[in-house]
Amino acid sequence: MSTDPRDTSFEAVHTSTAEVEEETLARSTHRRRSDFEDTLTRTAEGQGREAGGALPRASLWKDAYYRFIKNKASVVAAVAFVALLAFCIFVPIFSNEDPYAVDFSQAYEPPSLEHPFGTDQFGRDVFVRTALGGRVSFAIGFAATFAIMLVGITYGATSGFIGGKLDNALMRFLDALYGLPYLPFAILTLAIFGTVNFWTMVVALTIASWFTTARVMRGQIMTLKQNDYVRAAYAVGASRQRVLWRHLLINTLGIIIVFVFLELPGVILGEAFLSFIGLGINPPKASWGTLAQDGYTEYQVHPWLIVIPSLMIAWLILSAFFIADGLRDALDPRMKEA
Amino acid sequence: MLRFIIRRVLWTIPVILVVIFMTFMLMRMIKGNPFQNTERAVPESIQRNLDRQFHLDQPWYTQYFYYVKGVFTFDLGPSLVQRNQTVNDIISEHFPVSIKLGLGAFIFAVIVGIPLGILAALRQNTAWDYGAMTFANLGFSLPSFLIATLFVYIFALRLKDYTHLPTNGWDGPSTWVLPMIALGIYPMTYFARLVRGTMLETLQQDYIRTAKAKGLRWRVVVSKHVLRNSLIPAVTAAGPLIGYLITGSFIIETIFGIPGIGRYYVISVTARDYSVTMGITILLAILIIVANLFVDILYGFLDPRTRDERT
Repeated sequence: MSTDPRDTSFEAVHTSTAEVEEETLARSTHRRRSDFEDTLTRTAEGQGREAGGALPRASLWKDAYYRFIKNKASVVAAVAFVALLAFCIFVPIFSNEDPYAVDFSQAYEPPSLEHPFGTDQFGRDVFVRTALGGRVSFAIGFAATFAIMLVGITYGATSGFIGGKLDNALMRFLDALYGLPYLPFAILTLAIFGTVNFWTMVVALTIASWFTTARVMRGQIMTLKQNDYVRAAYAVGASRQRVLWRHLLINTLGIIIVFVFLELPGVILGEAFLSFIGLGINPPKASWGTLAQDGYTEYQVHPWLIVIPSLMIAWLILSAFFIADGLRDALDPRMKEA
Repeated sequence: MLRFIIRRVLWTIPVILVVIFMTFMLMRMIKGNPFQNTERAVPESIQRNLDRQFHLDQPWYTQYFYYVKGVFTFDLGPSLVQRNQTVNDIISEHFPVSIKLGLGAFIFAVIVGIPLGILAALRQNTAWDYGAMTFANLGFSLPSFLIATLFVYIFALRLKDYTHLPTNGWDGPSTWVLPMIALGIYPMTYFARLVRGTMLETLQQDYIRTAKAKGLRWRVVVSKHVLRNSLIPAVTAAGPLIGYLITGSFIIETIFGIPGIGRYYVISVTARDYSVTMGITILLAILIIVANLFVDILYGFLDPRTRDERT
């Protein structure tokens, strides 16, 4: 082991996270007896870690992985999520159907072998259009989620890390923003831009929904700041910046990943709502929400046109939710209490 | 406790002011002028008179002052597009409809969702549990526009000879049923899942085992010990859900043709009816703030630990 003080602080991080985890796991055995075995193996691993065994960070993620795959619902959800993503990416590439070709003789065909999801009012293949719509929905969803994380983490981490009066002011402001209703706020933002395109949609959704991430981040940073290893890091001369990046933010990574899967379906659903009330991005691009709105005008005779894109959204929401659930248990058992 | 309530109530005043300010600034950033949007161009002299009438020629802080004064004296000014109506008229005409819809949906959510969650928890890992949770997950993930559309499709087209539930308009209790259920399904599943989760956790507590061990009948254990302790989180969930019920009604109102505030809001945004948009936004915001206030106070009564931490 080198004499570099940084290494000591690095060691300190992982010993104490291991301790916290052991403690929480021990507590959770009160709840579920099946965890007992798990705890035993994990405690043994934790000791191995203290003895300077394998790389601590690698085993932390490996642990999480094993805990995740033990949760059947989450594994099924992860497969479903990947399948949905693959459907959106690959179907338009390998399909011979032209999603923009108009052929009125083929309009409104019910689902068949040739057109698994039927055709729309212009005779376009709904299967390919659904996949393309998914691409738009996913693109907006991922972009907005990324922006939400960026804004929320910056705001929350600043507030929690600096603390004091600034923290107070930032949190009071956040409290006030909590009062703003989600959809009207997004609608107002879109109205300010005057046009609805990919980027304005992303901004509108971000502005309306970064609050929760900010609040949770701030809480996390506040809690982590109390840990002994932070004091230890300062004691060995680590700069504030280094403590923030190497000891605080890195330890919120688990929660951030969970939040990505919680925000993504929310944002995609929000986009679908806005599209449904006519504030979606302009044609010929279409998200699932736009497709659902198109389908809505025809639901009396051709109900599958609204049912299919809606079911895609439901699929996404459910799979993302169960993934988040599994990840939360796998990455950070402490979050259950919060 | 009284101090907690007073502090909490006073705190809503700056929050409301900030919300008004944010909405005000956002509205000012929207490009375009309501009077230039009409088909005939307005002569310049009239334009100037209109500007003066609505304080549009004043600097923004004066406008803000007038607006805050208006909000607190319940005078939100005239509609800028519908010449004969004030914002108050529009709100008092359409808002009660939305309130009734939201309240009905909330009651539906509580009386169906909470028992469903209790049932699932008490019969954990049985067909009851799986059935209830499958139902809850479906209701949680299906977008409300699909549920509403399917209701209309089923009740207006498929079952119209058997049931006589109207799916359009808002006149009389029979027209209320379907929109209320359609709007209430999401909060219902929310309650069901939440109550199931907290119940399962409560059932594992030592004091439940003690109660059982001392020979208390199961029915009494559940009603006296389990239920009391596991329904508290449902109260906290009620706050954000009230916000959802009001804003979520945008789509339900459109699909069922209900003359509520949500549908009118979208119209006012596209018509650049500033005063109506602002009025409704602020009204909704105040409603959410007040709902959260009540939830916090109620929570303070139920769980004394929260009184000091939250201000």
